[in-house]
Amino acid sequence: MALALEGIRVLDFTWVVAGPAATRALADNGAEVIKVERKAGEFVIGTRRAGLMADLNRNKRSIAINMAVAAGVELAHRLVKVSDIVVDNFSARVMRQWGMDYQSLTRIKPDIICMSMSGFGHSGPRAHHVSYGPTLQALSGFTMQMADAQGRPAGFGYSYADMAGGYWGALAALIALWHRRRTGEGQFIDLAQFEALVSVIGPSLLDLTVNRRRQPPPQWNSQEGPAAPHGVYRCRPEGEDADRWVAISVRSHSDWRRFVAALGSPQWASDPRFRTLFLRMQNRDLLDHHIEQWTTGQDAWEAMHILQKAGVAAAVVSNAEDLCVRDPQLGARGFWPTLELPGGGRTPFANLPFRLSETPASVRTPAPEIDQDRDWVLGSVLGIERAERDALLAAGAIYPD
Amino acid sequence: MARNGALDGLRVLDLTDLRGALAGRVLADMGADVIKVEPPGGDPTRRLGPFADDRPHPDRSLPFWFYNLNKRSVTLDYQHARGADLLMRLVESADVLIESFEPGHLEQLGLGWSVLAQRNPALTLCSIAPFGQTGPWRDFAADDTVLTALSGMLYVNGYPNEPPVRPLGLQAYHCAGLYGAIAIMCALFARDRSGRGQWIDLSIQEAAACGVEHVAPSYFATGEIARRRGTLHWAGGFRLGRCRDGWIMHSISGDWTTLLEWVKGDGAAQDLTDPQWSDPAYRRANAAHLFDVLDQWAADKSCREIAERAQTLRLPYAIPRSVNDLPDDEQLIARGYFVQVEHPELGRKFLYPGSPYLFSRTPWRLYRRPPLIGEHNLEVLGGDLGIPADELAVLHAEGVC
Repeated sequence: MALALEGIRVLDFTWVVAGPAATRALADNGAEVIKVERKAGEFVIGTRRAGLMADLNRNKRSIAINMAVAAGVELAHRLVKVSDIVVDNFSARVMRQWGMDYQSLTRIKPDIICMSMSGFGHSGPRAHHVSYGPTLQALSGFTMQMADAQGRPAGFGYSYADMAGGYWGALAALIALWHRRRTGEGQFIDLAQFEALVSVIGPSLLDLTVNRRRQPPPQWNSQEGPAAPHGVYRCRPEGEDADRWVAISVRSHSDWRRFVAALGSPQWASDPRFRTLFLRMQNRDLLDHHIEQWTTGQDAWEAMHILQKAGVAAAVVSNAEDLCVRDPQLGARGFWPTLELPGGGRTPFANLPFRLSETPASVRTPAPEIDQDRDWVLGSVLGIERAERDALLAAGAIYPD
Repeated sequence: MARNGALDGLRVLDLTDLRGALAGRVLADMGADVIKVEPPGGDPTRRLGPFADDRPHPDRSLPFWFYNLNKRSVTLDYQHARGADLLMRLVESADVLIESFEPGHLEQLGLGWSVLAQRNPALTLCSIAPFGQTGPWRDFAADDTVLTALSGMLYVNGYPNEPPVRPLGLQAYHCAGLYGAIAIMCALFARDRSGRGQWIDLSIQEAAACGVEHVAPSYFATGEIARRRGTLHWAGGFRLGRCRDGWIMHSISGDWTTLLEWVKGDGAAQDLTDPQWSDPAYRRANAAHLFDVLDQWAADKSCREIAERAQTLRLPYAIPRSVNDLPDDEQLIARGYFVQVEHPELGRKFLYPGSPYLFSRTPWRLYRRPPLIGEHNLEVLGGDLGIPADELAVLHAEGVC
């Protein structure tokens, strides 16, 4: 079946996580994504065969080019000529040093699109600062604002910044490609991952600028309308694992009635202190205490199903095993397609979160090892024959097998 | 109005509530004509606080403002035949319709995919639902809390043996909105070839799962269940610590020798000079001890002293900030990230967060403040559909618009 982005070629200088997450969305939809890599010094967590790097780079091709020599840059320029968009997520100066900045590339291909996904963008006092996801999460307020009940900062145990940079980056690339298709014009996109993160904080920023109200940590105060009970509640241990929780959100009066009925209409629920949503929010600690008395006797999955059967928004707080194996919804929707790996065995990958009815995205090929597609890129993309390839080798632009 | 947006000429009908509204916002920022089609009482988001000046009013909801900047608004009761008929007439000239109703709801109204596609074969329908349009949990009750729980996002934020901490902002919905916009752009590229639109089935649960970095890939690679570790990043590269006058985000993700020389120079390296610490895998596995040493090193230094020196050494350190400081952030100010939006009815301008990228040719723009309820009925229903003013008045009186 045809894929939505067939015919689009992406020259991908990105590394680590945010950039590869952006080009993954393009590759899954059929764009031809050619990673241009260093032979050594790849950012390594695990391997290209399994784990995060395998997931981020599926459906892509790889060639290693030595950008430190003129012949390497020249080879990269030849690839630019036959590409639609060049993407990088270096800090602002790297591409310029190589002669791969937008101004230089427009002389080679006037309608090229360049997207830089640097930490802070190419302007401003922090333009040249170095950052990874947690650096940006600290500066954007997520780290401190996500405080636990004792007030300890607990912001993201992982790099949400990179995932946000990824989805904003994919979107920006598509919008620029769309504009070029309409007008023939390329352009430069200066995406700041810092701003990508600030842009998903949401309405609380307006409460700050409009009402001048300092924002407290959200904790379990609902961000989508008043709710009580609302939060996570400890459940019965499952075997050795005491880290089991159920999330519950109760909003309307009818939610509350169904919730109470699902618990077997315990005496405490008719306490006048819980009669209205307003009162339940005022007496939240007492309410949560009663609810936890119930949940700690329940298996987390059972609690979810008892409450969902009554139409109450409730969920097991999924750990990796719940998510990857036990969740029947993700399984039924084909969210974990599997691929055969070159070394043998099959492994699942996360799909994109949407299905296009006519041109569904897919996971087709495992992540390439570095330089795996050298001959394919030189031969099929650039039409370079053996003699010229040997000359590139001799010039140190590419690497021997 | 003179326009030069990348998405000029695209018309999007936006029937979403809070759950999908970001998709239309990001398209509108880039020039698409996004028409919010609301029930006559207004989108339920308009009843959601906080409100400007804390005065509850459908035209003062800050969540509505945030998600609906740059859109127009038309009111239509499409539960009734006349309203549905008008919606279908709008569908004729639209490229995209986005909705976030319960699965099956549009079909019940006689406005399902087959009906829409028959009227306009080039239309793309983007359906955003908590669990998508299929699967055993399709009709389960859900909010952002439940969906972050079921995506694996909640479980890995917070401290061991303590309740999981939820993200700042409605991140399940934000992932869905951004991936929705990506999916729409992909469908438009496919339409360029086929001339036909398609139906996008987007699951918010899956979108949020795509907003988690390591949980699934680590599980599939090694069977490891990722757990909460406070602010210690899952890959071991970062942890928040204390210095003399506040917090600092420590990082060992820069050049290790550089950091070690610095700490050693202060006589605070303790056992970190032992040879095993030069192995990155060892550092990752023993990160907790490493950061304990760094905490002791930092205890009598100021945050500023550490962060500034670190950045000159290309180490990705940062002083964590509060979201409350963002409007004064010198980097965001230098990049013009926040924009003044005039609300003439309120006689004031307000500072809005913008979009996270600078496009050299087709920058995102402020086209209009968020719409009042039905503000563009006359323009769209009168102007575009040619309904005479007296007939519009009757429709309004009958509650159709």
